[in-house]
Amino acid sequence: MMNKMLKWILWLAGFVFLILYPKLFGIYYSNVFVTFAIFALYATSYNLLLGYTGLLSFGHAMFFGTGAYGTALALTHISGFPLIPALLAGALAAAILALILCPIMVRVGGTAFAMLHLAFGGLMYVLALKLRHITGGEDGIGGFDIPPFSIPGIVSFDMTDPLQFFYFAMVVLIGSIWILWFFTKTPFGQIMIAVRDNAKRVDYLGFRVPQTKAVIYVFSGAFCGVAGAVYALFQNLISAEDGFHVMTSFAPIMLTMVGGIGSFFGPIFGSAIFGILEELTTRYTERVELVFGLVLIFVIMFAPMGFVGTVKMIKEKWFTRQGV
Amino acid sequence: MDPVTAMYVAQGMHGLAYGMILFLLASGLTLIFGMMGILNLAHATFFMLSAYLCYQVIAWTGSFWLALLIAPIVTGIIGVLLERFLLRKVHAFGHIGELILTVGVSLVILESVKVFWGTESLPVQIPNVLQGLVTAGGLDYPIYRLFIIGLSLVILIVLMLILYKTRLGMVVRAAVSDADMVDALGINVPLVFMLVFGVGTWMAGVAGVAIAPILTVFPGLADQVGMDAFIVVVVGGFGSLGGALLVAIICGLLNSYGVQFVSQLAPVLMYIFMAIVLVFKPMGLFGERE
Amino acid sequence: MNILETQGLYHDFSGLKVLFDVNLQVEPGERHAIIGPNGAGKTTLFNLITGTYKPSRGNVVFKEKDITGAGPWKILRQGMGRSFQITSTFDRMTAFQNIRLAVMSTRGIRFNMFRKVDKMQNVTEEAEEILKRINLDGERDIQAGNLSYGKHRSLEISMALATNPDLVMLDEPTAGMSKDETHYAVELIRRLTEGKTTVIIEHDMDVVFSLADRITVLHHGTILATGEPCDIRDNQAVKDAYLGEMGGEEDVCY
Ligand SMILES: Nc1ncnc2c1ncn2[C@@H]1O[C@H](COP(=O)(O)OP(=O)(O)O)[C@@H](O)[C@H]1O
Ligand SMILES: [Mg+2]
Repeated sequence: MMNKMLKWILWLAGFVFLILYPKLFGIYYSNVFVTFAIFALYATSYNLLLGYTGLLSFGHAMFFGTGAYGTALALTHISGFPLIPALLAGALAAAILALILCPIMVRVGGTAFAMLHLAFGGLMYVLALKLRHITGGEDGIGGFDIPPFSIPGIVSFDMTDPLQFFYFAMVVLIGSIWILWFFTKTPFGQIMIAVRDNAKRVDYLGFRVPQTKAVIYVFSGAFCGVAGAVYALFQNLISAEDGFHVMTSFAPIMLTMVGGIGSFFGPIFGSAIFGILEELTTRYTERVELVFGLVLIFVIMFAPMGFVGTVKMIKEKWFTRQGV
Repeated sequence: MDPVTAMYVAQGMHGLAYGMILFLLASGLTLIFGMMGILNLAHATFFMLSAYLCYQVIAWTGSFWLALLIAPIVTGIIGVLLERFLLRKVHAFGHIGELILTVGVSLVILESVKVFWGTESLPVQIPNVLQGLVTAGGLDYPIYRLFIIGLSLVILIVLMLILYKTRLGMVVRAAVSDADMVDALGINVPLVFMLVFGVGTWMAGVAGVAIAPILTVFPGLADQVGMDAFIVVVVGGFGSLGGALLVAIICGLLNSYGVQFVSQLAPVLMYIFMAIVLVFKPMGLFGERE
Repeated sequence: MNILETQGLYHDFSGLKVLFDVNLQVEPGERHAIIGPNGAGKTTLFNLITGTYKPSRGNVVFKEKDITGAGPWKILRQGMGRSFQITSTFDRMTAFQNIRLAVMSTRGIRFNMFRKVDKMQNVTEEAEEILKRINLDGERDIQAGNLSYGKHRSLEISMALATNPDLVMLDEPTAGMSKDETHYAVELIRRLTEGKTTVIIEHDMDVVFSLADRITVLHHGTILATGEPCDIRDNQAVKDAYLGEMGGEEDVCY
């Protein structure tokens, strides 16, 4: 009972915090927060695959980028296309790509899975670079109209206003993360966790392992697409570099590792850590990447369980010491 | 010789030379990633670093040959240090650990390079003997490209001989394929790994020096060629030097002829080739392990 | 009418011949023990029947349907459960969650993504009931990997039974157990398989003779004899090959 109360209070506090956030910290930090939330969703979607099936992909940027380009293209070429359908267009494009690829991908595992993704990710990157008339090449697609979020006759929110966009992005991104979290709590989510633990036994309990992996794969791809779509709306620009580059594929792996692998919320912590780090370092140096590099080396050498794992370990140590 | 054929031959030479540089880079990766199973995303960064070292040695001494000697060795030593003090310790975390570490190292090297040398692209002069063309059978061959092809072949042959004809090579192959067994036989496996890693990095270094006069030296070198090298290793088949050679040459030719026929889309060809191979043979053309 | 039959089953692992011409027949409702020395091919026979591998030659017929080459998930859905010689549970999930997965499977809850599994009252109740029946209700929230050896084995066996199969295949359920644990496990098996067809691989002869209605002896990949415990005990070929030193204890046959 107390627990339930506490949970509600926490939810409420979080909600109020988000409402007040732009007022408290201003538009600049609101935008920082949106970027953080986009990467949090991207990494969480990625981790659905890595954390729950153990499949390591080196090419998930293709879903992020496809989502972003899907939304950007829809808004560029169809005048008067509304906001939510544009967002869904991006997610759908990513989901379809995942659906096309999953028969190939779920057949292989391990290193071959990672490399196949590296290959397809690379293919998407050069396609985005070279099919100029569609993708705009290096420059990408930008400057498309961002439609308002409107329920006709009732309300209309101007998405070019950073404040209103902030709230919209929060609803979409946090809503998506919540859906993913809920997903892990359903019967299917249990099967998913079981696959991670012991795929052979899952098979012997009458569940179909490849199909399970395929569903997770498509889900993961679709939500990476949502993250990409919001990114395109937020930046009002998507380029091959941001959308499909290998570093975009590696980003969620790094966020997950730094935040803590094997935990649903790890990637979110990872995104927050990198977000804060970037804010702090840009004040003092242009060499943000140097700092990132050093952090990665530090984490893998000294705190390989990431933030969540390390906190857990410290907590356990603390408790056992208390017990003595 | 009519000009059309001449052009084809010239393009072929370009493709072959690029293919061989790619092979040098990729064969180092074949040793490290394909045979030892260590995912090293800093491999191409070493390649770039070596190109910068080459530039620097030439700036100091004026000798390309000295650069060709020194830059890869220094690069190899840095590789050995990386293996000995960092990579070895994260092996337990599998590819994810190696990925995080080597991406981190890449970023650090890349940023340091920018600090030391800036982001402008720096020219490297071909030594006089290697400049110009030789003419044979009515065709012109640029000497530098011939030199690269020859150098790569020599390295390949020496490597193959060591790996497959000497006791040392046997120990190395045994050590990378069944470390526990060989460990039990009293061979110092970590030392073997360190050496092989060093040789692999050294080869990336040689490739870096070889490419410096062609593409000039700039921070984006790693990006541009690094992915291609990974593709060559993967498509050729893990741990297969022959596969890497074949695919490197195919990629080189696809690249240079692709530019001729589909211009902009040349890189797309290579990725499509790779995607098709991997869809049907996920372990690559000559790969069997997993 | 047999519930399970293998017809001329052969298997080899890249040249190594492990089984040849195995014709196993299991009648509905019986407890059928398979015995034979280590390496005889007992586990391989289980693997062929339950779909781990496809036999090199021959057929597996279950409930009059040919299931040769079907995957484990499909065979389970036809009503055949299996436990493993080497414990194979979900070690990072709790005992309760392990059993709950089996219950979900029985109830056909698979791709449900719209309800929290914790809110499925009847699934929870059934899983808890099973835990109680196997005396694991005290360990409900302990990760399977952290259970004591005996309890872990109980969980292994129970997962095969929790899907409520018509036929259950138990591969050395008492492997590695102490005397007491074995005794307990045998009682558990006896209780849980009441009225179910059971095929059980077992080394402990006391267990075999106390549990089994019929026995098949597998030797060097082929069936040496099949019959009731008394017949097997008296079978000269079996004595020569395997039981040899056990011939002295006659008190089992009356
Ligand atoms: N996956 C496999 N690959 C190769 N040989 C195997 C495999 N599984 C079992 N064998 C061999 O088959 C023979 C029978 O093994 P198994 O069926 O496990 O025997 P049992 O369960 O009767 O002790 C043994 O010689 C074993 O080495
Ligand atoms: Mg066995």
